[in-house]
Amino acid sequence: MTHANSERVCLDPRFAPPFPQVAEQMLRNPQLRKNVGHAIDVIQTKRGKLVVEKTDWQELRSAASAIRAHALDNLGVYLEEFEARCTAAGGHVHWAADAADARQIILGLLREENATEVIKIKTMTSAEIQLNPFLQAAGVNVYETDLAEIILQLGEGEPSHIVVPALHINRSQVREIFARTMGLNNLSDDPKELTNAARTYLRQKFLTVPTAISGANFLVAETGTVAIVESEGNGRMCLTLPRAMISLVGIEKVLPRFQDLEVMLQLLARSATGERMNPYTSLWSGVTPGDGPQRFHVVLLDNGRSSILAKNKERQTLKCIRCAACMNTCPVYRQTGGHAYGSVYPGPIGAILTPQLMQMKHAQSLPYASSLCGACYEVCPVKINIPEVLLELRSQVVNQERKQAGRFFDLMYLGLRIANLIFATAWGFHAAQRMGRIGLRFFTRKDGWIHSLPSLGAKWTQTRDLRGLPKQTFHQWWAERAKEGK
Amino acid sequence: MNQPVPSRKLILDRIRAATSSAAQSASQLAEAYAALPRAYIRHGSLSAQACIELMIQRLREYDAEVVECAPEELADTLAAQLAASGRHRFVAPSGAPPEWLVTSAHPIKGLEWTIDRGLAIDEIEKAEGIVTAATCGIADSGTIVLHHSSREGRRVLTLLPDYYLCILRASQIVETLPEYFSRCQQPPALATYISGPSATADIEMTRIKGVHGPRILVVILVRDDANK
Amino acid sequence: MRTSLFITCYNDTLFPETGRAVVRLLERLGVTLDFHPRQTCCGQMHANTGFRGEAFSQAKRFVRLYQDAETVVIPSSSCVAMIRDQYPGLFEELGNESLRKDFAALVPRVYELSEFLIDKLGIEDVGATFTHRVVYHASCHGVRALQLGERPYKLMARVRGLDLATLPNVDRCCGFGGTFSVKNAEVSSAMMTAKLQDVLATKAEYCTALDNSCLMHLGGAMHREYAGMKTIHLAQILASTEADSEDNRMEAAL
Repeated sequence: MTHANSERVCLDPRFAPPFPQVAEQMLRNPQLRKNVGHAIDVIQTKRGKLVVEKTDWQELRSAASAIRAHALDNLGVYLEEFEARCTAAGGHVHWAADAADARQIILGLLREENATEVIKIKTMTSAEIQLNPFLQAAGVNVYETDLAEIILQLGEGEPSHIVVPALHINRSQVREIFARTMGLNNLSDDPKELTNAARTYLRQKFLTVPTAISGANFLVAETGTVAIVESEGNGRMCLTLPRAMISLVGIEKVLPRFQDLEVMLQLLARSATGERMNPYTSLWSGVTPGDGPQRFHVVLLDNGRSSILAKNKERQTLKCIRCAACMNTCPVYRQTGGHAYGSVYPGPIGAILTPQLMQMKHAQSLPYASSLCGACYEVCPVKINIPEVLLELRSQVVNQERKQAGRFFDLMYLGLRIANLIFATAWGFHAAQRMGRIGLRFFTRKDGWIHSLPSLGAKWTQTRDLRGLPKQTFHQWWAERAKEGK
Repeated sequence: MNQPVPSRKLILDRIRAATSSAAQSASQLAEAYAALPRAYIRHGSLSAQACIELMIQRLREYDAEVVECAPEELADTLAAQLAASGRHRFVAPSGAPPEWLVTSAHPIKGLEWTIDRGLAIDEIEKAEGIVTAATCGIADSGTIVLHHSSREGRRVLTLLPDYYLCILRASQIVETLPEYFSRCQQPPALATYISGPSATADIEMTRIKGVHGPRILVVILVRDDANK
Repeated sequence: MRTSLFITCYNDTLFPETGRAVVRLLERLGVTLDFHPRQTCCGQMHANTGFRGEAFSQAKRFVRLYQDAETVVIPSSSCVAMIRDQYPGLFEELGNESLRKDFAALVPRVYELSEFLIDKLGIEDVGATFTHRVVYHASCHGVRALQLGERPYKLMARVRGLDLATLPNVDRCCGFGGTFSVKNAEVSSAMMTAKLQDVLATKAEYCTALDNSCLMHLGGAMHREYAGMKTIHLAQILASTEADSEDNRMEAAL
């Protein structure tokens, strides 16, 4: 049996196969589906109880949505304010236009520190810019310190969820990875023992590696504050013990004022892990003499975010606070897990963020990886109307296809163009209905049902029957009835 | 040869072009910010006593041990807790009041206090326990707020030792998170919000406590409020 | 009370019995029905697949056909959601002022069937009898887009003999999703199987909903698998009376 983490998974949207293709593979993996289903059931149940308990939940969502939208509407001003405050407090702010820029800046800072090793707090932003392999190739050893990230790093796996990245891996798979890579032959698969193994493995690293890299959950413009929200304590280790620290943060993460955290923190933990508050939240501004790293750098990352900002309907994508509530509630994600999305950002948010970060040149199957059920919008703490953005991106994919010669070989495209002509007039519609009934007669069995269709129809009939077209349409029945004088 | 546009200018120009329709003066920006909807609960509705009870309940849900005492009983209560911990080497923050360090009521054999006046990391690593004050307690989520004053200590102190005893005063407890923020006259340069021992659910969503950071949390709740 | 029935393209072609049931039901309640002979489609399939220009032309046609109707009743919550949620954006982007005005005037007069009964007619007891155990599937558009809430349950509560089963995970999507059922057929089927597990476990005889789209998807699998349950649109349950002959009731079910 293949272990979920040893499949060759590609999370580079430029090269990942289309969603339907990888999804089908994932659907054939019972272990994966069980692991994913179990994990999201646990979070969903916990979240559900706390949302009911929080009687001002909807008001918090409204406030959060408005605060994030306001911050994005005035992003330049708030970023400059953050830069000024962070710098005044002894930090350094760098600006990275794209992934390559960010990698170079970070490597440059590490060289300044003569760093040959770094400890890392989990950050999806670093996975977005493919930082780890770049640093390894440049001779810097990267040590992930988040338990899930260690599991993935040691097991050479890929994240499948933005908050619980190894949720697709079960305990016996973790045991196998740790036993093999840490040389612990007598390790059981008890999560407590596995966690202890990680704790011991990391302790020395925390105490000795002088340089750390993190992301950030929020930046605060008013105070130049960086906020890291975590559960394990590896974050606190990395942001307290080393001499130098680099935080890589997307430009969209800035909040206007310190007080805005009172809204965001109430929503984030409940949405992400189903807790009233996560165990540790760390806030710091610049450098504090005698406490924590004495050299602190923020690398602000654009990498396509400013182009999303420019689009009216799509700008709301940037409100995201990376809570993963959308993927926890998504009925599609529940079945396929995260790897099917071919991106470090999976699930509903990934389906809209990934193609946009790629300037709509890649990941074009992602906007269609949704039944448009709307559950994600219902749970999103910052009210991103994900279905609205999915529809907008779908029309952009189609508009691109309209210009391509290959469209004449795309049955779905042709079918929809023809359907539009059919619906344009009653006679066209009625004629098509008659032709359809005649054409489908061949496929209709004696019991009046169709069990097998060719071509695109086969996609339906591979798992479902279709009742044969009735002899009389409704409008024919109505016309007949009218003739008979009701 | 053309110089590439520095990234900062490039990014800010892109952002300005993207948000040009929202270009505002400083006062318009402030007005827009002030007009943002904030209909969420700002102030709790619990009585002070109920609030304290909620804080204790939440702490105990996290398996923290909570002991109440009157202000004049603090030193004795602290000594008793430290004696019961089975540990000997404790660290105290630089601003720890001397009364914390007196344990004659409950003598601990081999007791060693080290005051943090710039201890090296490996010295802190040798400590078995840490005692600090706090800035605030948020009852709704059972959160202890540290602003890392001299009585709360540098961040490393409440991170490395395995046993953490926090002295929280009843007068420091508020019900809601917004109440804490409204009490902050000035945003802190450093803050840590602690809501239970560290935990991970990364393996099959099984919650394991105490990954990194203190695995034992004891809170002495000093009843310095009016009704005792 | 007059109302114009928009039957929807797929009901017209695939589920005319649902339309007949709507007619029977509403006429029994004293409503005079009109049926515009030139109606075709609301444009949802095109809008949801990204063909906005095409969706716009169908949307415009819908408004022009119905702009003088007293009210419009539609036995499909996804089509009503299309009209309420997506027409404004289409007309903003591609329409003109006159079209936007006519649409704004029309849209408050467009009702999904259960909305028409409860909100417009003010009726919960439609005089129906349906002596069967039934499980109700709450279609996503009905739950979220239209916020139908208690309406279908109020109607079902007054159907004599109806034994309504409790469905766990009632808000979870069945996986149809329009062209999603073909473009992502495998995922759609996985979602369908998960939904069927909950539905079949209720041991109901019929699975009902306000959308034949979901029912066609679930019912197609039930038929394939000899699952021993049938699907039936809620309109057909509500149209069913004690006086109905066995034949009529058999005809009512898929």
